[in-house]
Amino acid sequence: MTSSASFRRFAFAFGTTFAILYVVALARDVALFTVFPSLGVVLAGTHHTRDVADPAMGFLAPAIYWYGWAATAALGALMLGFVAALLPGRWTRAIWRGWVWLVPALSMIACVYLTLPWFRF
Amino acid sequence: MVAVALLGAVTHQTLAAWATVDARPGSFFGRFRSVPSGSFANAVVVLYVVSALLGAILYLYFRVDVRPELERAGHWHVLGFFDLKEHFAAIGLALLPAYWVCWRRPHADESAQTRTALTSILAFIVWWSFLTGHFANNIMGFGS
Repeated sequence: MTSSASFRRFAFAFGTTFAILYVVALARDVALFTVFPSLGVVLAGTHHTRDVADPAMGFLAPAIYWYGWAATAALGALMLGFVAALLPGRWTRAIWRGWVWLVPALSMIACVYLTLPWFRF
Repeated sequence: MVAVALLGAVTHQTLAAWATVDARPGSFFGRFRSVPSGSFANAVVVLYVVSALLGAILYLYFRVDVRPELERAGHWHVLGFFDLKEHFAAIGLALLPAYWVCWRRPHADESAQTRTALTSILAFIVWWSFLTGHFANNIMGFGS
């Protein structure tokens, strides 16, 4: 029962926190690592091709940030999830459980807003 | 195949969760609802994780081989929809523990609202990913 309740607190905190941190990581471009698939290179942190080469040469080394954004959010969410799991149940009982779906839904809307530049071309 | 199985499982579960409790036993929705929706939860979690892993691997090839072609062809809307697919898929992946808990370890004092909402969000993400993936795959034409 206790472990089940702890896992429930972890699961709810993890899902909610991830959704928030993912939007922050996306908006602030905070990737835990950057993958350059054509070079087979993974660098810690956020690295833009234009920082080290001419922007016109960017197609030679396309970068992937998605893995890094997700890892950033997952790391933060894991930490908060573990903290929530360790908290006494009475501390979290009053928290509305609907946050676990409302926050991700709002985060998805925020993602749409951050993606709007693609639709302005 | 994994994506189609996931689509079927999560769609059935979502419709069953939204179906009214007082549906006639012999009716379409009555029979639909009589299938224990909770039994889909494990399958949805496993299929979602497998789909996400396969998608994450395929994304490497997409970024190197497909996306530059779409950029050259000026398909900016498709790239936008595909970016949203990435974001939604990541958020959905993180929701799986809460989704699983709601279906497999429901609290007696908990309303079905949370469970229904989480399932609906996952269903939306799965359908968005499926349709966007196919759209991006097909837009350059067969054999391109």
